[in-house]
Amino acid sequence: MGNRFGFQTLLAAAVLQWPLPMALAQMQPPAGPPAVTPAPAGPAATTPGSAGPLAPGAMPAESPALNMPVSPATSENARDVLARVRPAVIQIKGFFGANTAQAFHGTGFAAAEGGIFITNYHVVAQQVQYPDKYRLEYRTPDGKTGAITILAIDVRHDLAVVHAAGHAPEPLKLEPVVPVKGERAYSIGFPLDVGLTITEGVSNGKVEDSFDPRIHYSGAINGGMSGGPALNGAGSVIGINVSGYRFEQLVSFLVPAEHALALLERSRKSTPNARSLTRDATAQLRAHAAALLGALNGKMLTQAAAGYLLPGKLAPFIDCNAAGDPTPSQPIQVVSMNCAAKAGLYVQQGLFSGDLRYAHYVLSTDKLDAWRFASKLSDLASATGAFGSRRHVGPFACENRVVALKGFDASVMVCSRGYRKLEGLYDFTVRVSSLNNTKRGFASHLDMYGLEFEPAMRFIKRYVEAMEWRP
Amino acid sequence: MNDPVSSGKAAVLVEILDSHGRVQLRERVALADDKRTFSIGRAVDADVTLDDAYAAARHATVEITPDGRVLVSDLDSVNGVLIAGKRHRGTRNVEVPNGVLQIGRTRLRLRTAFEALPPEKPDQLRPASVLHDPAWLAGIGAAAGLAQLGYTTWLGVPRDLAAVLVTTLISAAAGAGMWVAFWALLSRMLCGEWRWLRHAAIFLGVAAIFYAINGVLDLGWFMFSLPQWSLRAAWVGAIALGCALYLHLIHASNIAPRRAAIVACIVPALSGGAGQWVQERQQMRDVNHIGASLRIYPPALHLSTAGSIDDYFQSAAALRAAADAKRKATRADDDDSAAGDDE
Repeated sequence: MGNRFGFQTLLAAAVLQWPLPMALAQMQPPAGPPAVTPAPAGPAATTPGSAGPLAPGAMPAESPALNMPVSPATSENARDVLARVRPAVIQIKGFFGANTAQAFHGTGFAAAEGGIFITNYHVVAQQVQYPDKYRLEYRTPDGKTGAITILAIDVRHDLAVVHAAGHAPEPLKLEPVVPVKGERAYSIGFPLDVGLTITEGVSNGKVEDSFDPRIHYSGAINGGMSGGPALNGAGSVIGINVSGYRFEQLVSFLVPAEHALALLERSRKSTPNARSLTRDATAQLRAHAAALLGALNGKMLTQAAAGYLLPGKLAPFIDCNAAGDPTPSQPIQVVSMNCAAKAGLYVQQGLFSGDLRYAHYVLSTDKLDAWRFASKLSDLASATGAFGSRRHVGPFACENRVVALKGFDASVMVCSRGYRKLEGLYDFTVRVSSLNNTKRGFASHLDMYGLEFEPAMRFIKRYVEAMEWRP
Repeated sequence: MNDPVSSGKAAVLVEILDSHGRVQLRERVALADDKRTFSIGRAVDADVTLDDAYAAARHATVEITPDGRVLVSDLDSVNGVLIAGKRHRGTRNVEVPNGVLQIGRTRLRLRTAFEALPPEKPDQLRPASVLHDPAWLAGIGAAAGLAQLGYTTWLGVPRDLAAVLVTTLISAAAGAGMWVAFWALLSRMLCGEWRWLRHAAIFLGVAAIFYAINGVLDLGWFMFSLPQWSLRAAWVGAIALGCALYLHLIHASNIAPRRAAIVACIVPALSGGAGQWVQERQQMRDVNHIGASLRIYPPALHLSTAGSIDDYFQSAAALRAAADAKRKATRADDDDSAAGDDE
């Protein structure tokens, strides 16, 4: 049941992982939680064929856009934008060791004089984490190549400032004001390594109720375009391409340009080296984790279900959805609620940090005896479905006990494992199952990634303490 | 005691044995005061004629002494006479303990009237107890196994209980059948008998006891909130395997009970130890493995008092040190390479 909570969400909310080899990126779901704040429509509710915001019928059978000829004016505008921006855009390539074949690639654009470029952190993350193993190079649309050096990183907003040796085109103008909903926008990059490309879409303003600020861009962003500029009709950069839903239609995200301006400013004051960048990344991940738990530090809101009070939607940016089987003939009725902060930051391939998700499975029966009901509860309380690579984290250590909560006894298990390179960060897997009734019960799952130990344990304690039996 | 020869009752029973020691053929050789010796060989004029290409025409002579000892003399044959594992060529008057010897490839047992016989066995219509009757034991074990399978299947609340039960039964019967068939075949090879029922009784009995103990321990863990021991089932299984192995061995071969006990201890210890070592290493390498779990039973069975949440989180604070220790313990296995193959 643990899989039910996590895996669909992962499939639907897959962040575009440009650094992956493209064939692989298309075939595999990401190995971690989504690194971006998704659109308000929850991904679990928008799986193909399911009822949800994009249910069949909500969309016209024949989209007018498919039948109408493309406006000549629109194409000309895109051509103009691309012609103006072209010299300032580069493709950033990563190479493992002495290989001449690329390991990953993304896009960057000139943002300041003297060969200063902006890209995504996740485009250069491998080099930050493994400076001895990877090297970075740029390639201009004209085929000129040279070395790339990282100057500053902003892990939380997924940005990096880099220097391209021997290439200093005129920088693009960064527009710190988020465009209004409906304003035409363009995204530029090197999708799937097929050459410089421009896509046309519409800005839908800032994503509502998101932990990290993102602009919702209704246009195509594909693997390889990460770090590329998204521009308004005047050719100013309104955001930086960062992610999108892989199996949805044109739901893409940009990092607002204001964060790129802030990072550019910061980069002027620092002279980083490989070690300081790694330390900086870890410190930023910790700060993000602290900010996430800080945002959840308010009153632990609860929701009633079958006589239990369980943690509900704990903050506006937490995305929750619930489901149940309406068929009355089932021997056991299960109502589930899944919530996710979707605040995870992409650290490197297979590693996301600073996120949490929780789910409750509330069971009730009027047909099953106590033994079979308890057995079903056991199945739902099992701790499976964790993900992570041995390269990034250590094994779990667990503490399991029966604890007296408000009005009922519950089996509580907390497991934790430490990160290897990101010292001081831990993953947590928590399972709570009620032990007080033979006809009603619940199993609660709480999974947290890349958080500091003490604050996380304090949150877990508050989470467990909030549970109550009030029939 | 009268001399059987002088009392006119003298005779030697020459028995030809198969590889399992069972008599295939008997021949009585009469002895007299003046004839206490007889010959064995392939020739038709030998006193005992063997149909064995590895025996000489006149291979050996056998003498029964007045005090009942059996002496064998090899008549310079190519292959000699095999007595108690030792080959004698051209040797005269070698005493044959238990009267068993081998000529060519034929095993013979020479029985005389001096042989002391054990008392006859009482003919009981029923065994002393059901524990001595393999059929009963197999039946009880099968019933217990069926009950266990039925219980676990029923517990899972399948949509079609009967179909799942039949499928599970077929799978279990196939597994059990292969195990029992293996031991029966071994019995047939080593003892000349299949002993199906005996091996079925051993397997089903031990399996039933294993599941019962495991179930009781599982329930006990829940009732009294005992600390979790993830390898409990593996160790109970190793002990059960040892018991089954011991019983199968002594019923499938002529191995001495002491040797069987040693094998039954060593094999599960080695396989269990190796299995545990491999499992622990795999679990340490599988960073997504969570060994701890608690099987939940009806709340009324939970007898111990629940702890306070403060106490629990005080204990849970130690998880940090435990997680760090595990992370460091596995660091040596990790080459820290960016080109790792585990992603």
